[in-house]
Amino acid sequence: MKKYTVKTETLAECKFVADDMILTKDIPTTAGSKMLDGYVSLFEADVLTRLFDKGYGLAGKTNVGEFNFDLVGETSYNGAMVEDGIIKNATASAVKDGEADFAITLDVNGTNRRATAQSGLVSVKPTYGTVSRFGTIPVACSGETVSIVATNADKCKEVLSVIAGHDDKDGTSLPQKEIDKIKEEKELKKVVVLKSMLKGINSEVSEKIANVCEILRKNGVEVTEIDDSVIALSNKAWNVLMSAELCNNVSRYDGVKYGYRAQNFVGIDGLYTNSRTEAFGLLIKSAILFGSETLSTSNYMKVYDKCLRMRRVIVEEFAKMFASYDAVLMPTCSTFAYTQESVQKDMYMPFTENFYTAPASITGLPAVVVDGVQFVGNAFSENSLLSLAKVIEKEGK
Amino acid sequence: MDKETLRRLELLNQLRLTEEEKASFMKFFDERYEDACSLDSIDTSAVERMVHVMPVMTVVREDVVKQNFAREDLQKSAPETDEGYWCVPRVVE
Repeated sequence: MKKYTVKTETLAECKFVADDMILTKDIPTTAGSKMLDGYVSLFEADVLTRLFDKGYGLAGKTNVGEFNFDLVGETSYNGAMVEDGIIKNATASAVKDGEADFAITLDVNGTNRRATAQSGLVSVKPTYGTVSRFGTIPVACSGETVSIVATNADKCKEVLSVIAGHDDKDGTSLPQKEIDKIKEEKELKKVVVLKSMLKGINSEVSEKIANVCEILRKNGVEVTEIDDSVIALSNKAWNVLMSAELCNNVSRYDGVKYGYRAQNFVGIDGLYTNSRTEAFGLLIKSAILFGSETLSTSNYMKVYDKCLRMRRVIVEEFAKMFASYDAVLMPTCSTFAYTQESVQKDMYMPFTENFYTAPASITGLPAVVVDGVQFVGNAFSENSLLSLAKVIEKEGK
Repeated sequence: MDKETLRRLELLNQLRLTEEEKASFMKFFDERYEDACSLDSIDTSAVERMVHVMPVMTVVREDVVKQNFAREDLQKSAPETDEGYWCVPRVVE
């Protein structure tokens, strides 16, 4: 797999890369899918316009797994980026290797958070609605968020201050006065660890959680461990919602207006079916079919509607927690390295490994990844979470 | 997941799976479906659905064209065009 789909020249002092889910004018955007091979947008994402206006320069577009739906990029139609049998994420690698000061990514199913944790970087997935999604490839619209990956928390804060803001081109963009709440920073003094979210992690991740708890305590932060079984149900509901949304969003790809078209077909239905069958990978096909069935007459109320109600239950559970605590500490992934062998053995891992990332996705709450672990905070607390990350940064590693 | 339902889903979504892919998908489907059904352990009968995590307000703006794309630009990424039209196989007998 190539690290970059396109490398661009820039003289800017501060350079960034955008993952291939972010539309760039006159530069191809493929979402890691053969379906969008050769697609060039006529306009750029709002997030890029804001960065260019402030003098940041684009160093390139980084390769992603198909629709950023997978673990760390293994399903890209260009193939997985593998080093010593370990799958690497192209976007995080560009930042880690010093080729960019930060990266802009679309967090659909936690890919960039897992990649951040595995690369020793810092990332922020802001509160849903604070950063415009105009000009991003839509996949799971009710939870996906434009996110930042950088080498440190200060850079994340700096970039967030540039890209957060109301955009009337995005129907889910919050009013500016709501977005301004992210400027109200407070010191986070109480962190809670959910025992149920520690399920399935290996000893290295477990050790990392313990180390971070120790650093927090040393710095005067109260760390409490509690039992909670509701948050741990997040991915079961998110898997349904994101698959149903994916199914609807990718129904636009038919081989007619843009993107890939099969060479051999008979009739219009043959054109649609052959183009989609040849272009989509099995993970995406499976999610489309699963999502489609959850929306069927026989399953809509039993499955899809149930998951929408579960979303409220999970949001309310977090609200209860934030009445007593400032942030929730949880793992980002079960392991700090996904081997090519393990992914080949179970290509559906993105639906189980998102156990750790789904709570912030389904609720739209902000999440900061630092030193391999993840802090989920109340809405608009991203800057406070990043200040907490700075404490970890100083003493972690 | 049975084969008949899968065939219906394939037709509905304009997709085709190979026999090997079908076996893999059916296992995946059953596991995810079971996961979703296990949520029945939580009583949500009195809980309201949550479609949007943040309040969504109707966006009102002036009816003014801000972006206007030329037809030839819009068709640059098209697989096949002819004299300004998108080409598809004959659909009328």
